[in-house]
Parts: sequence; C-alpha cells; structure tokens
Amino acid sequence: VILVGELSLWVALLVAAWATITSFAGGALRRTDLVASGERAIYATWAFVVLASAGLWTALITHDFSLRYVASFTSANLPFVYTLTAFWAGQAGSMLFWCLILSTYTAIAVFTNRHQNRVLMPYVAGTLGAITLFFLATMCFGQSPFERLDWIPADGRGLNPQLQNPGMAIHPPNLYLGYVATAVPFAFAIAALITRRLDGEWLAAVRRWSLVSWFFLTVGITLGMWWAYVELGWGGYWAWDPVENASLLPWLTGTAFLHSIMIQEKRGMLRKWNVTLVVTTFLLAILGTFITRSGVISSVHSFAQSPVGNWFAALLGICVAVTAYLVATRLKDLEANAELESMVSREAAFLYNNLLLVGIAFSVLWGTLFPILSEAVRGSKITVGPPFFNAVNVPLGLLLLGLTGVGPLIAWRRASVANLQRQFAVPVFGGVATLALLLASGMRQPSAVAAYALAGFVATTILQEFYKGIGARRRMHGESIPIAFVRLVARNRRRYGGYIVHAGVVILFCAFAGLAFKRENDVTLKAGESFQTTDPYGHQWRFVSEGLSVDTKLNRRIIAIGLKPTRDGKPMPLIESEKRQYFDSQNQDTFEPATVVGIQEGLRQDVYVVLAGVVNDDTAEVRITFNPLVWWVWYGGMIMAIGGLIVMWPQAGRRKESGYAAVMETAGVR
Amino acid sequence: MLSRREFFGVAAISLVQAQQKPDGARPTMVMPMHDDAYKPVTLPAKPGATASMTDEARDAVEHRIHCQCGCTLDVYTCRTTDFTCPVSPAMHKDVMQLVAGGYSADEIVRAFQGVYGDKVLMAPPRVGFNWAGYLTPFAALGVGAVVVATLISRWRRVVVDEPAPVVAVPGTPDEMRRLEDAIRRDDQS
Repeated sequence: VILVGELSLWVALLVAAWATITSFAGGALRRTDLVASGERAIYATWAFVVLASAGLWTALITHDFSLRYVASFTSANLPFVYTLTAFWAGQAGSMLFWCLILSTYTAIAVFTNRHQNRVLMPYVAGTLGAITLFFLATMCFGQSPFERLDWIPADGRGLNPQLQNPGMAIHPPNLYLGYVATAVPFAFAIAALITRRLDGEWLAAVRRWSLVSWFFLTVGITLGMWWAYVELGWGGYWAWDPVENASLLPWLTGTAFLHSIMIQEKRGMLRKWNVTLVVTTFLLAILGTFITRSGVISSVHSFAQSPVGNWFAALLGICVAVTAYLVATRLKDLEANAELESMVSREAAFLYNNLLLVGIAFSVLWGTLFPILSEAVRGSKITVGPPFFNAVNVPLGLLLLGLTGVGPLIAWRRASVANLQRQFAVPVFGGVATLALLLASGMRQPSAVAAYALAGFVATTILQEFYKGIGARRRMHGESIPIAFVRLVARNRRRYGGYIVHAGVVILFCAFAGLAFKRENDVTLKAGESFQTTDPYGHQWRFVSEGLSVDTKLNRRIIAIGLKPTRDGKPMPLIESEKRQYFDSQNQDTFEPATVVGIQEGLRQDVYVVLAGVVNDDTAEVRITFNPLVWWVWYGGMIMAIGGLIVMWPQAGRRKESGYAAVMETAGVR
Repeated sequence: MLSRREFFGVAAISLVQAQQKPDGARPTMVMPMHDDAYKPVTLPAKPGATASMTDEARDAVEHRIHCQCGCTLDVYTCRTTDFTCPVSPAMHKDVMQLVAGGYSADEIVRAFQGVYGDKVLMAPPRVGFNWAGYLTPFAALGVGAVVVATLISRWRRVVVDEPAPVVAVPGTPDEMRRLEDAIRRDDQS
C-alpha cells in the first residue's frame, strides 16, 4: 500500500497536469470533449491523492521507519490517535494533507456544478487543477512524505509533545480546511475574469464556499488559541505570533467579503472590490503558508526551514501577476451602475465595515512584515510584539465592534432621522447604562471600559433585533416565544445567523478586555509552604504546596507539583502542573521537556498554574496567574461558528417571492 | 522511578542532544535555542541605592524586554514558562541587579537597549523610522476612508442626477395586510 501510495503521488501529478491543460484548452476552444476529459481527470486526481494519503497513513500505522517522515514524527510507543495525526505534523505530510483537502474540494466543486455555471467551470477546474498540480509538484520534486532513509532505525523520534494534545489533533485540519477553501472562490473569480462574466453568477457560486472557509478558519483559530493556552504554558492564547497572524489575515478579508458580497447581490455594486477581496483572501492564505514554511520570519509555530518556502513565494508571485493582468484588462467589465442614496445607509455601513476589516488586516500584515522592512532600511533588527499590535489594533478593533452594532440598525438605501431615533434609542441606552455601571463600580482601564460599553451597545442592538423579529412573528402567527425564535432564525438564516455571529464577537471582545485585569504571581515554594494573594475580584487566595513528585508513565517521565488552594478560607480543588520528558521505545529521550499547565477553570476567571522550574531539587518555581473571562473566548468562538453554520446551512424549499418583493428581486433590489 | 536529580540530568542531556541534531531533524513547533545570545547588562549601583521598585513593577519591566533565546516571549513570561531556557533567567538576574542598584524602569530598559539594541524591546521604540510602523496602518486607513468618502459622494451624485423611476407594483394580499398593520401601529404610537 505504501508503494502504491508513493506511485499514486506521481500519477496524480500527471493526471492533475492533464486536468489543468484540458480544462483550460476546453474552455478556450469551446470543446466539450476536452472539458469533460478535464473534469474526469479532476476526479481521477482526487482518487490518486486519496491513495497516496492511504499509503502514508498505512506507513504511519505500521511504523515503517524506513520512511524519513515516519521516523521523524512518530515512534513505536506513540498513542494511536497521535500516530494518525502525525500525518500533518511535519512539512511533507501536511503538504499531502493540504493536497488531499484541495483535491476533495475540487472534486466537490466540479460535481456540484456539473449542471450549472458551465461557462465558468472549465476555468474553475483548470485553476484548481493548477493549484493541485503545484502542491503535488512540491512533494514530487521538493519534499516527499515517501522519501526513504538509507538505513532503517529501530524507532522513530516521536511526535513533539506539544503536538500530543487533542486540540492540536483537530486545530490544524480545521485551519487547513479553511485555508484551502479559499482556493475555490479564487478559482471562480479567475474564471469570471477570464470569461468576462462578472455579474452575480460567480458570486452566487462562491458564497457558500467563502462561508465554508470562514467557518473552518473560525473554528481553527479558536482551537489554536485554546491549544496555545492549555499547552504552551505562557498564560495567554494570542501572542501576535507571525503564524497566528497568518491565520487571522484571510479570516479578516474573508469576513469583509461576506459583508460586501451582500451589496453586490442587492445593488450590483462593488464588483472590482469583491473580486479583489476573493483574490486577496486566497493570496493571504498562500502568504500564511509561505510564512509558516519558509523560515523567513521567526515564529514558535514554524515548520523547519525548507526550500518549500521558495515554491510558495513563486506561487504567490504567479498568482499576483496573473490576477493583476486579468483585472487590468477587464476593468470595463468590472464597471457597475453604482448608486448610493445616502452615507447613512446599510450599504454605506458595510463599506465602513469593509474599510475597518481590511484596515485591520493591513495593520496585522504590516506589523508582521515590519521587522523585515526595518532591517532592510535600517540594518538593525527589531522586535514587533504584542505591545505594538495592541497599540495599533485595539482602537481599530473597538471601532469595528461599534460598527457591528450600528450596521443592523440602519435601513437599506437611506435612513431617515426618525428611523435612526427609533432604532438607536434602546441600544445607545444599553451602551450608556453599561458605561455608567462600569464607572460606578470603579473600573478605569480605558480600553476595557470602552470595550464593555460598546459590547453593551452591540448586545442591546442584537437583542432588539431578535425582540422585534420574535414580536412580529408572535403578532402575525400567534407563536410562542421559543417557536417564534426558532422559526425566525430558520427562515432568515443569513440575517439572524449573522446576528448570532455578532453575539459571538461581543462575547469575544468582552473576554479579550478581561486580559486588562490579569494578575500574575511568580513564587518559590517548598513542600508545606504557602503563598497568599488577591484575585482581580478581590477574593483572598492561599496556595499551599504539596511538594514535588516524580513519576513515569507510558512514554514520559513526569515531575509535578500540587497546590492546595483556598479562596476566602474555603477549600478549592487541588491544582497540579507538570513537566514531562518524553522518551521513545528504546528509552531514549525525545524533544525538550514539555509543560502541562494546571488550570482551575471558571466562568469568571481561570486560576492558571505553571511549574516553571525547580531549585535545589526540592523547591518549585511556580507562576500563578488569575486570568479573568478566558473561557468566554472559547464560548465566543463557538457561538460565532454556530452562527456561521446557520448562515451557510442550505435553505430548502424557500418560498418564492411574489408581488412587490418579486418585482424588487427581479430589479436586483431585494 | 527516577529521582528529581536524575530527571533534570536526563532533561539537560536531551537538550544538548536536541541542539546537536542536524537541521533536517529539528522538531517542529520548537524554536532553535540561542544559548549564546545572553550578554551581561550591568551598571554600577547608584550611591546609597536601595531597591527601586516592587516585585510587581519589576515584572512589568521584564514584560517590556524581549528574551533573546530565540522565542517570541518577554523575559518574565519566558523565565516563568520555559523549563530549559538559560537566557531569560540570566536576563532576569541582570534586571534584579539593576533594580537593587536603584535604577528606574526606563533606565533599566535603556540599559538593555544599549547592550542588545532595539531588538531587545517587545515593541519598537517610537523614534525615527519606527514611527512608520506605528502610523502607516492609521495613514492607510485614513486614505481608505477618503477613497470611500469620495466614492460614496460620487455614487450619491449619480442618484441625485438620475432619480430612479417610480414603478407602481401591485402588492399581494399578504403584503397589503402587513402594510396596513404597520400603518395602524404607527398611527397608534
């Protein structure tokens, strides 16, 4: 099976090349036989990539250490689930995994469009085939997961302990699913540009794919934050690391696109902008991959430096050049009858939202690349860490949060003064009341106060929208509140699913603002010694050390400390933190010691304990951190993902509009 | 079962082995450790010096200083997280000595900057070219805002110049009933 897998990679390369050539040729020559051949080749490519993946998985499961990849990332005593997830733990395997997702997406896109978008499809298949070809080439001519060693080691090096975490088993696949899904809208955009069919047809085809990408990126980023928090032990979940930033960039532009697409759908405007956003989102996904794999920027998450980075730089260059040429030669086709009645309208609010989202994306990209620029200009290195990103992005983020509450309150086309007064009265009251409560309670941190006050405003906006919607249903249909809520969301998934996403955003911002009240204590404790401190809510805590203990389990030696806490004199559950030294089946140590954080979770705050070191064999150096509202980050992320799922869920049997609505729909004014 | 001493001995050996492995065999997700990156930062104590700050204030200073071991963390976070980093504890000792020598937070940060250069700061100082780093995002946003404002005003002119034709469309009975309901509600409010 392994040999079949290796051969399949090469066959897939040839078939993908055939798919690319015949699809483009079929589109250009209007030869349906070539187009059909190209589509069949797309399915065949998928099948061969599946075979290649099965080959690698077989090698991993059977511990075939003759393969460099298997020997580098697994060991005989690695738990089975992590043996499976080692598939994407290293450079070459993750490339194959990316290729597997891409070829699957491509096959799905071709299959679901077999009776529609027929003019676009040859170019969609050709573009996706070309991207698949690129990934296959990086493996066949760059780093192959099937590369063999000259000798067969008795055991592999094992998997990095930091990757032996449930979060890490599912976080990378989600990010890959999100990253790769940006390729499909990109392919449709290229097809629309080539065929000059730049009306709403291609947009309708890509909306769901953009949502798929957004959904998986949201889940992936949230899981990544959770993994960083529970596994790395530095006490936070987002460090503005270049690789973290790389995942945020396509999410930001993808979010902007999901808003701006509505303006083109409803008003036919922003054609150039939407093409630009789709292309930019894909390019940022590729840029992120380049950053992760090239070693050009230092990051704790990077793969080892490899020539694959140069491949991605080349792909990036080619994509930019091709897209720029296509857009430049089709500017006339991208012209639209743009009309906007008022600067105070839903359309205008979406434009402001896009400006901010893209502005934040630019500032993140700028901060990520600024060290390189600075070194090139000044010749000396600088560090661009969290203080920089916070200084730049917190004000922009707060503006965006405010706009999240403003957009839904403004009418399409033009908002009258009376409309604004009626819509804004309650939400503004909600924001002001929150602000007054915070100030009265003594909160003075400016960014936290601003975040919570704005969160109060946006939350009231969302509640008001649901209140009005549910009220209308109850009046019209006499439904109970729960039924009205469910039907309201089910029948207006885009709108109310979007509000649920906004609710997740509000929760996230509240959780982020909680960091302003974080308290850290760096203490040294012998067995029986205690440490007293106060948490951000004013509770008195006492931690008594139970001393250090040493143990050996399955594939690791463990040194641990137990802390017995009391809060205001009341006993709380024991908190344990560990350092682990992993070893392979030959009892040889693998990797550096890893941290296992002790976390006492709570809705109000986490008590976060890290065993930082040991002095004189019997004294533990411990960091005890109170992290307010951290769990709301995961809840916020989950709520956003659920909202996204509601928005993209297919709406079967939607009632066809009639009367006024139908006429407006025909006129493009839904 | 290992004693603690054996455990740390094994950990130290494994660290050295990890350093000696060829690049291709480096573990993923782990930055190369720059053990030799440490440079002493020392200043003579001020006359009659006493400790210049609380532990909390000292930790805040360490949050401003970038550990040079190759990680992306500040000195405080690295030394209280990374079991094996030899650099952040050494930098911490220098901070402690400067605190004991009576130096203020800014003086300590400047001393580190003098030895390591700007890269030792967690964010670039707001001087010279670095201002480009801080201001460019806002400048770009400003330019974007001007472009959006210009576009909107142009699109509005189109609307003013060419008023949309009024089309009479018969509503469905359901739409008419909803319209009447809405008017009745407005009248009552």
